[in-house]
This record gives sequence, structure tokens and C-alpha cells, in this order.
Amino acid sequence: MARMFRRDPVLDVCACGVGHPAAFACAPEAPPDGTGEMGRVVNEAALRAAFPNAATRRGLLSLFGAGTLLSALEGVLPLGNVREALAQGTPAAAPEKRDLKIGFIPITCATPIIMADPMGFYRRHGLNVEVIRTAGWAVIRDRAIAREYDAAHMLAPMPVAMSLGVGVANPIPFAVAAIENINGQAITLANKHRDKRNPRDWRGFRFAVPFDFSIHNYLLRAYVAEAGLDPDRDIQIRSVPPPEMVANLRADNIDGFLGPDPFNQRAVFDGVGFIHILTRELWDGHPCCAFAVPRSMITDTPNTYAALLRAIVEATAHSNDPANRVAVAQAIHGPNYLNQPLTVVQQVLTGTFADGLGGVQRVPQRIGFDPYPWHSMAVWILTQMRRWNQLQRDVDWAAVAEQTFLALDAGRAMRDLGLTVPESPMRNETILGRTFDPRQPEAYMASFAIRRN
Amino acid sequence: MAAKGEAWRAALLSALLLAVLLGAWEWAVKGGGGPGGPTVDAELAALLSPAAAAGGQTAMPAPSDIGARLVELLRDPFHQRGTNDQGIGIQIAWSLWRVMAGFLLAAAIAIPLGFVIGMSPLLNAALNPFIQVLRPVSPLAWMPLALYTIKDSNISSIFVIFICSIWPMLLNTAFGVASVRKEWLNVARTLEAGRWRTAMRVILPAAAPTILTGMRISIGIAWLVIVAAEMLVGGTGIGYWVWNQWNNLSIADIVIAILMIGLVGLLLDRALGLVARAVAWQE
Amino acid sequence: MPGMGGAARIVSIEGIARRFPGLTVFQDLWFHVDRGEFVCLVGHSGCGKTTILNILAGLDVPDEGGVLVDGREISGPSLDRAVIFQGHALMPWLSALENVAFAVSCRNPGWDKARVRDAARAALARVGLTQAAERKPAQLSGGMKQRVGIARALAVEPKLLLMDEPFSALDALTRGTLQEEVSRLVTEAGQTAFMITHDVDEAILLADRILLMTNGPEARVAEVVQNTLPRPRARANLHHMPGYHPLRDHIMDFLITRSRTLAGKPPEGWDSRRPPVVVPAEA
Repeated sequence: MARMFRRDPVLDVCACGVGHPAAFACAPEAPPDGTGEMGRVVNEAALRAAFPNAATRRGLLSLFGAGTLLSALEGVLPLGNVREALAQGTPAAAPEKRDLKIGFIPITCATPIIMADPMGFYRRHGLNVEVIRTAGWAVIRDRAIAREYDAAHMLAPMPVAMSLGVGVANPIPFAVAAIENINGQAITLANKHRDKRNPRDWRGFRFAVPFDFSIHNYLLRAYVAEAGLDPDRDIQIRSVPPPEMVANLRADNIDGFLGPDPFNQRAVFDGVGFIHILTRELWDGHPCCAFAVPRSMITDTPNTYAALLRAIVEATAHSNDPANRVAVAQAIHGPNYLNQPLTVVQQVLTGTFADGLGGVQRVPQRIGFDPYPWHSMAVWILTQMRRWNQLQRDVDWAAVAEQTFLALDAGRAMRDLGLTVPESPMRNETILGRTFDPRQPEAYMASFAIRRN
Repeated sequence: MAAKGEAWRAALLSALLLAVLLGAWEWAVKGGGGPGGPTVDAELAALLSPAAAAGGQTAMPAPSDIGARLVELLRDPFHQRGTNDQGIGIQIAWSLWRVMAGFLLAAAIAIPLGFVIGMSPLLNAALNPFIQVLRPVSPLAWMPLALYTIKDSNISSIFVIFICSIWPMLLNTAFGVASVRKEWLNVARTLEAGRWRTAMRVILPAAAPTILTGMRISIGIAWLVIVAAEMLVGGTGIGYWVWNQWNNLSIADIVIAILMIGLVGLLLDRALGLVARAVAWQE
Repeated sequence: MPGMGGAARIVSIEGIARRFPGLTVFQDLWFHVDRGEFVCLVGHSGCGKTTILNILAGLDVPDEGGVLVDGREISGPSLDRAVIFQGHALMPWLSALENVAFAVSCRNPGWDKARVRDAARAALARVGLTQAAERKPAQLSGGMKQRVGIARALAVEPKLLLMDEPFSALDALTRGTLQEEVSRLVTEAGQTAFMITHDVDEAILLADRILLMTNGPEARVAEVVQNTLPRPRARANLHHMPGYHPLRDHIMDFLITRSRTLAGKPPEGWDSRRPPVVVPAEA
């Protein structure tokens, strides 16, 4: 019975076919009034969450009846609130908490979080949000844990790692409410390596990535491993705050970095390095940064969470529109947000950029903004955490993905805005020329010659 | 008269050194002449910094660039355009506030505690191992612990100021109190001055110059540390401003920040120097 | 009047000793001071003179025996026993006036500031320092500092004035002036005094009785010399007084020879409570 009081139970796969956390609905086509099929599924999910053992659940149900059991559960899981908050279309119910602080790192990945401020999306959803520039990923993580920030811009793998207790003292349940950007990163090399365009020639190189738990780290590792180099033995990888990447490149402390923009472009702008490859050529559509919330926000202030998610999804859609990109660059480059030269930010967002090799490239898809947190992304992140032994135990890939990548909520908010929502949060990804089937992660992992687990 | 002439000559020499230094700097940055590298087409040139377009790297800013930027910054030092864009004056005020809060808190604890330790050889011996172990710890090493336990970055940075400025004051107070002349204490005893009266009228003024020396060391350390602490936790303050301009690779702003940090540090030290002079005595 | 005992007796030293492991500085020491009497203790250094004075002041505790003041055993320092220290022991951060005022306010805690200052000013006037009242000790000559020390001691109107070689650090001229000044002040006020010295003329000028101590270790009062020279005495004509030379010769003789030959174990039948009394001036 003790399991009944767990707030964030690890779930088995629900009857709807996809697994999902207890506090969320499973049926993608649920009615908007919070009753009917959706309400039933929430109830059933809650019961399943509290009593994962099917025999026990059936036994209890026949003994007490669903109503009694559910009312007993109400005290533990505020089901009513979640149900109502989710069922709200526009106009939204009043947020429980209006004054919010959201931390961001000054990189173009943060564009939606930032843009929701000047565009008034937060205000439109009844929120008074202060977006606060923050010094680094560890700082933003610690402030989010300390609840100095109500929500935060994080690297997509961070909430996964935090929820699993990897890289932090205790597991702290955080979730990716929405992906911020896809693509939009690059490998930048020092100018002296202009002729070393094949990663096979990179033995002994020193690389910087923004954080251990970052898609940057995993992509760089996968990329060099694909070329036959062991990322732990044949090259060096260091965690370096993005702004210092350019300075380190200039000082010849590193040979290159896989980092976020605008720092790739800034290296070109300052004549320090060139863009070797855009990450969209490694994995088109890869997630980079996330809009992360503590799981307790979802249960404690469901209306605030719903309003915030809508504002973010709206800003993401706005930022993704190529027609808006110049204006977006104009809005975010200034000292209050990114604090970078306009042309640098504009090159990143429009995709018309100097590559540092004397050419001007036109890649409008250089960076994209798509809020949908595919579970397949989370599973790939988990395979890489496991591959490089950051995660030292086996986990239920799908369950962790559902817990940390809240595809249903983001999908709901997207649908309200008239965006297309994928049928299933699992899809096959093409990464470095290989197909990754998220339903077969073990087979995928076993296919690598270079790995640490 | 000779001393006055000497001072003038020293000032003149200082000015001359500065002029030579700045002149050499200016020449080293700008003296290289016009762009000599490959010229690129107009579209590409618009996407690059002038130096990069000329085939080079962006250079260190020259003193004239820094001067121009300084004028720009000081024209409106207290502007507030959003959470993340506030004037340099406001940033310095934030740092000063944190330093003062941590420093005064440390003084409020270190001076009375130092008094007790200085008067009691037993306590002195008992606490000494702790002090000796904790004192050499780099203040920033406390930061993660503070953030983890206090869970508030602003209070954490104040705590770090507190913890790093407490030791010089504690040790100096204890030393100053312990080395008060026995004969003054004997005078107080023969005059039947009570403990409190002895502490306030004899020990405190006797130890005041030593205590003030400790306070001067402390405030110097506190000002050093706040910059680093703010670079680490961000938000507000001159240290954050440095981080922020570093983020923008704006070396001119960083040079200005260095100048400002130096000046404020000097002013803090001078202010305590005046207090020290007021309590100094000479036999 | 001297040597009468009974009600006139202010201080009784009863069998005090100072021991260190393996070393007895002095032991079984008995003497007394009567009201209005001026007693000098003369001996070579190392016989424990300063220790004896500190025990009298209550600043030190004997290993054996005790001190009675007005028939009651003392337990520590008291305003009744003022000390003029060898080094002036003025507090350098206070002006001459403030040094004296500190003593006055200790004696009279109920007094308001003005009254304390007036009393301190009066005390300074008695030692001729009205002009220098506002100066810090560092701005005073050695003699002036010691005058402030005297004024401070007298300002508390003690029953007993204790002096530990108060003039030994001064030049001969200043010393002479101050000795006469003390003589005058003590006589005027009928002040009871106990003084340690190794200056024979100083003892003859000031004392009614002179206690002669043998060399340490195990120092003891070997003789008590009655000084019958009439008062007032003045330095200028002291050596013309009848009886001066035998008195001086006797003491000099003691210091040069007998302090050494009598040292160590006392002779058979020695009564430490009643050392021999000699009156050389009448011999």
C-alpha cells in the first residue's frame, strides 16, 4: 500500500497503447470538457499508477469499487485539477500562480522562451513572466531545483538525467514540457584545421561541448565514433560554457567545439574559426534545448502549467515561421537578451551565413523551432547516456521517455493552436545515416563497436 | 617643500607611464595600417566583422575604443531596460550591497567572537584548529555547498562574502585582544572597572587598530570574491556584468569593468583607511 | 606614630610566599604599613619586590599567606589601593585628562561627565599639568606622563598608594623633581604609601620606614630601618641633615654587603614576624 503515496510512480504502458505519466491523459482525441472518455482514462491511469499489479488492482476494485478507490486517491493525486486544466481550451482558466521567473542561457536555442516576452504571449495567457539570463547550465539547473526559477531553459537531456538522479545528488523529477529548437548547432573548427575536414584526421583534437548532459556531447561522440575514433581516448572533450568556446578557440586551447549558436557564427564573425558541419546534417530534426518544468508544477499549479505551455508553444510556432526570422533576430540580439551583434544572430536565424571558408551558405533550415517532445528523442538520449556510461543501470526506456518528455501535453497545446500533432510520439529517426528504431534501443546500442557500457 | 616637489614629480612620472602604455597599446592595435588581407565581396563582408572580412581576427580594442565605450556607459549608468539590461551603476550598486551585507554580518559575528577568543586562551586553543582549516579555503569552494543548502543564489553569494571575510576579522580581533598590554588591563583591574567597561573602554580601543587592519583585509577579499561569485551565479552585479560582456566577447567592456572594480575596491579600502586613522593611536 | 599597630594599621602582610617548582623566591614574609605612613621596600632585583607589590595591589596571589587591609583579607584589586606603575601605563588613545577621568569615573560611577572632568582637571592641576590636559601621552615627556600616572592614582583617593619604582625610567633631574612632588602630595594629603625602589636617596627622602630585603632566592626582610630625619625634607638639603650620613651608610652597606651575606637560610632563632629594627640616624 505504500506505493499508493508515491507522487510520481513509474508507469506501465497504458491501455491507450502509449505509456504516459499518471497525471496526464492518454487519449489523444479526448473531449475538451474533462468528462467522458478522457476523464475515464485519467481515472483508470491513476488507478493503474497506484496499483501497478493488475491482480491487486482487480481485487481492490471488486472489493471497494472504483469510486471509493478514486476518492481515496484524490487526496494523493489532485486528479480533479489536472483533469480540468487539461480540458481547458482557450480561453484558459485562471493560473494559480501568475508571477513567474524563467531562466535562460543566452543562445539562439532560447528564442521561443525569450520571444514569448516581447511578443506578449505570456501576458496573453494571464502570466507575468520575468525571463532571466543565467550564467551556465549547472547554475540554471541548481536554480530550477531551488525553485528560484519556476521553469527553465535546459538542454533536452538534463531533465532526463535529473529525473534519473544522474549528475545530481538525488533524483529530482523534472520534465521536458516542450522542445525549444531542433537543429541549429554546428561543429566549428579553428581556422588552422581548414584542410582537416575528415573526422578521421582529428586524433588528438581537443573539443568543447556545453555540458556533459547535452545533445552536443552525444552527437559529437557519435560522430567521431562513426569515423572510428574513440571519443574518450582519441580526442578530448571538455565542458565549456558557450561564450568561452570562441575565446578558447582563439587562444588555441581547443581545436574545435560542437556548440550552440550564435557562438559558431560568432567564431566566424571574429575570424577565429569556420563551420565544419551543421548538426542538421548529422541528425535532421534533433532536439537541442528544452523548456523544462519541475514535475511538481504540473500537479501543484496545473492551470499555470497549461498557460505557460500554451505561451511557449505559441512562441515556438512564431519563431519557426521563416517570415518572422529577421524580426526575431532584431528582437532578441540586444543587451536584454542575447547581447550579440545583430548580424551574427540574423545569420543563424535566417540561415544565410558566412561559413568561415570564404563562402556564403543558404540553409533556411539551419535552425528550427518545434515544440513536440518525441519520445523517440528521449529514448535515443537514454541510449547515449547508457552507451557512454553516464547512466550505469538499465532503465525502462519507454517509461522514462514518457515520464520526462511530456508529448501529450505539448500535443494538446499544439492542437489548440491548430498545429499538426503526430499520431504517436515514437518515430524512427535517421541519425548519422543509421535508422534508429526507438522500440529496439538495445539492438541499436549493440550495433556500436565503440561504447563504454 | 622637497617632499611636495617629489610628489609632483612622482605624479608626473605616473602620468607619463600611463601615456606611454596607452600610446603603445593604441599603436599596437591600430598601427598595423589598413586592411591588407584578401578583399571579399560585399555580401560576405556584411556578414563578418571588419577584421574578419579583411582576413584577420577581431583585435583587442584600443584605448580610444575603450574610452568611447566608457563615455557611452557613463552617459546613463543607471538605466533599466528590462531584467537583463541594466546600467553599470546599478550593477555596481548590487555588488556593493552584497559585499556590505556579507561583510557587516561577518563583522557582527567575527568581532565579538574574536573578543571572546582573544580573552580566553582555552577557547583560542579549542577553536584554532577549525579556523586554521577553514581559513585557507577558497571562498568560491563554498559556493556549491551554499547553493545546495541555502537554495537561493543571492543569499548564497552573500554567504560566500560572509564566510570569506570573517576569518581576517576574527583572527585579527583575537590577536588584537590577546595582545592588549597587561599593564592597561592591570590599570582597569585596580580601578575596579567591570568586564563590560574594561572591554569597551580599554580592550576595544587598544585592539581597534588591529581589528581595523583585519577589516581592511576582509573588505578587500570580499570585493575580490563578489566579482567571482557573481560571475558564477549571475543575475545582477558587476561580476555578472563582466560575465555578460564576456559572453558578448566585448573586451572593451571587460577592460572598463576591471577599471571600475579597481576603483571601487580602492574607495572601499580608503574608506576603511579613514576609519583606521581615526582609531589609531601611538605610544 | 609609626609602628604603633592596632587601629592605625592599614595593611598587614602575613606570611606570604612565592614559589616555583624547585625555587622559593621568598617565603614567610611579614610586615605592615600604618595609616599615614610611607614605607619603602629596598632590595636588589630578583628578590621578588614587584611580586610583593602586585600581591598588595591584588593583581597577583601569593602561594601562601595573605594580605589584610583594614583587618580584612583582600581577594583582588580594589580602588582602595591605587597603583603608580613603573611604566606609566597610560592609555595612549586617551588624552591626559581622559586618562585621569577614566579613573575618576570608575571611582564615582554616579557622576555626570562634567563633574568627572572637573575632578580630573583638578587632579591634573595638583601635579601641574593643567596646560597639557588635552594632549595624548605620545605628546608628553616621560616626566609628564608619570605625573599623569600620579594624578590618576591620587584622583581615586585610595587608602593606600602603591608605587613600583615609579621614577626609575626618568632622567635624574626629572626624577628629583617628581620625588619632591610626591613627597609634598603625600604629606599634604596624609596619604599612606608603599613604594618599591632601589634608589637609596629616594627611600631616605620619602620613607618613614625602610624595609631591607636580602637577595633571592628565599629573600626575607632582614632589617627594618627607622628613618628619623625630620620632615619636611628636601633633596637640596637632605645630605646636610644630622643623621643622614649614618642612615645612608647603613643602607648602602646593606645593599653592597649584607644583602648578599645574609641571603639564604635565616640564622637560628630568627623571628620572621619581628625582624630587627635599627635606627641608624640616632646612633
